[in-house]
Amino acid sequence: MANISIRSVHKKYGPLEVLKTFSLEIEDGEFLVLVGPSGCGKSTILKILAGLEPASGGQIFLGKRDVTDLAPADRDVAMVFQNYALYPHLTVRQNIGFGLRMRGMNQQETRARVLDAAKTLGVESYLDRRPKDLSGGQRQRVALGRAIVREPQAFLMDEPLSNLDAKLRVQMRAEISALHKRIGVTTIYVTHDQIEAMTMADRIVILRDGKIQQIADPDTMYQHPDNLFVAGFIGSPGMNFLKATPTELDGIAAVSILDVKIPIGARRLDGARKVIAGIRPEHFSFGKGAISVNLRSTLVESLGSEKYVYFDCGDHLVECKMEAQEESSKGLIARISQSGRIAEGDEVPVSFNPADVYLFDADTELVVR
Amino acid sequence: MRSVNIPDLLVVSNGSLDHSRTEVLPPTFWPDPPQWKTFAKVWEERPILLWLANSTFAALGSVTLSMFVSVLAGYSLSRFQVRGGNSLGLFILTAKMLPATLLVIPLFSIFRNVGLIGSIWSLVIAHSTLIIPFTTWMLKGYFDTIPKELEHAAMVDGCSPLGAMIRVILPVSAPGLAATSLYAFVLSWADYAYARTFLTNSQDNWTANLGITTMRGEYVTDWNEIAAVSVFVAIPILLIYLFLERYLVGGLTAGAEK
Repeated sequence: MANISIRSVHKKYGPLEVLKTFSLEIEDGEFLVLVGPSGCGKSTILKILAGLEPASGGQIFLGKRDVTDLAPADRDVAMVFQNYALYPHLTVRQNIGFGLRMRGMNQQETRARVLDAAKTLGVESYLDRRPKDLSGGQRQRVALGRAIVREPQAFLMDEPLSNLDAKLRVQMRAEISALHKRIGVTTIYVTHDQIEAMTMADRIVILRDGKIQQIADPDTMYQHPDNLFVAGFIGSPGMNFLKATPTELDGIAAVSILDVKIPIGARRLDGARKVIAGIRPEHFSFGKGAISVNLRSTLVESLGSEKYVYFDCGDHLVECKMEAQEESSKGLIARISQSGRIAEGDEVPVSFNPADVYLFDADTELVVR
Repeated sequence: MRSVNIPDLLVVSNGSLDHSRTEVLPPTFWPDPPQWKTFAKVWEERPILLWLANSTFAALGSVTLSMFVSVLAGYSLSRFQVRGGNSLGLFILTAKMLPATLLVIPLFSIFRNVGLIGSIWSLVIAHSTLIIPFTTWMLKGYFDTIPKELEHAAMVDGCSPLGAMIRVILPVSAPGLAATSLYAFVLSWADYAYARTFLTNSQDNWTANLGITTMRGEYVTDWNEIAAVSVFVAIPILLIYLFLERYLVGGLTAGAEK
């Protein structure tokens, strides 16, 4: 096990810079999740860490070793791939033991360690099968077994759950978290699924267009997003963004949202003329509250325990283009846990608390603190 | 399918016919009774084993040389993005677009200069010039279908890039390698023009196809004997098909991915 130090690593393909200067210190034993939309550079940094892609510049340290120019075989990291990448011509036993054989381990010890890893992951009864005879979940376990059997300094996982069905994904998510707690190896996990990131990570790194947007633990990432992108990316359904106009209310700074003036407390707009307000769907409630507005519902989706209610806000809504926010195109969304009948087309009072309103500078997209 | 097999059937039946009945219309498909002695006669009178051995040497040599070159070339074209790589690939393919007969004279000139006329090695090299362009593209196409993550996994597990190719990619490519080898073998086995040009004066090196053409007489041709030798010449190809069948039908990458 070792800490990982990524120092000013960047990557260019010709004139295209897919990874901008990237620096990060990862603690020994930490579970770090890199998350972002497709093409944000998260898999590229993982391949650079594994040695499968050369960096255009910068340095990578694994513990005290500078591994920047080392071949993948010499880095002592293990990688789990999105599509498993099991060797189809080998049995499960040979797949798991492949890395040990390549490192010249004797047959007896290889056999014992393969069996240990297989028991850990519950695949010991499939050891003589070929990958084609396994289910998706079993294949993923074998891929994990191939990684843990080598007892590497770090695990690199490239969207390992994205090929599994929803139920199995939840199960494997918990298994990977439990495995990490048990063996404590430094893990860098890449995903585009913010729920995986929130549930598994010690720390999350959000990337966009090859640039780090924010590094924080899951709670901080959710409660204190640094910018509009992070605020929209984390949370499901995504945050609602509304046009806001700086104004005054009884002599104190305020913003006007949905034609209602809302005090902004200690937050300083610092002369920002265009402001975007963000309210999470779960921060709305029905009925009168601190701030109440009447809105007409356009669509009601019932999930059993809660409802997603969409409201028509006309041109008050700001369309922020990001992958995680498909809901914004349907209108303002409220996540309501109360039971009760809400029909499409009803005009209902909706309320929220001013403290739950995030403010962003529309030009810089940074949060207003 | 049946119509495709009629010429084959005709060759076999002609081999078991009496000479006088081979040029009669309509042709006889089911000789009654079959004259199997023709097969024994040609086996005794003609150096069929030597011809087959020469054909086998030329074909196996061509397959070995072609596969060695085209595996490396096809893998490189499939995996490595180099400046001009696509143009280079197309340039290789243009060699396949030239008719084989167009190359006879330049190849003859080269082989004469290096003393290879009359040697079976001239066939190995000449056939390889025909085979390599096409097999390189066949294998490039096959390698393209194999996920890159397989060799990435092998490299992270401790292989060098070449080691990953040998230990993982080539075993997984067995069906593609088998199909390509078969193509190369058949192309070399079926050659007549190059053998006629380079080996005419050295009977010890005659291939089966060249040997068969010497069985035509000036006034009379024993077609039943030619048909009987043709059956012997076809047997190795059938055996190779049977041997490679399990690789040809196998989808070995099943299970590598979801």
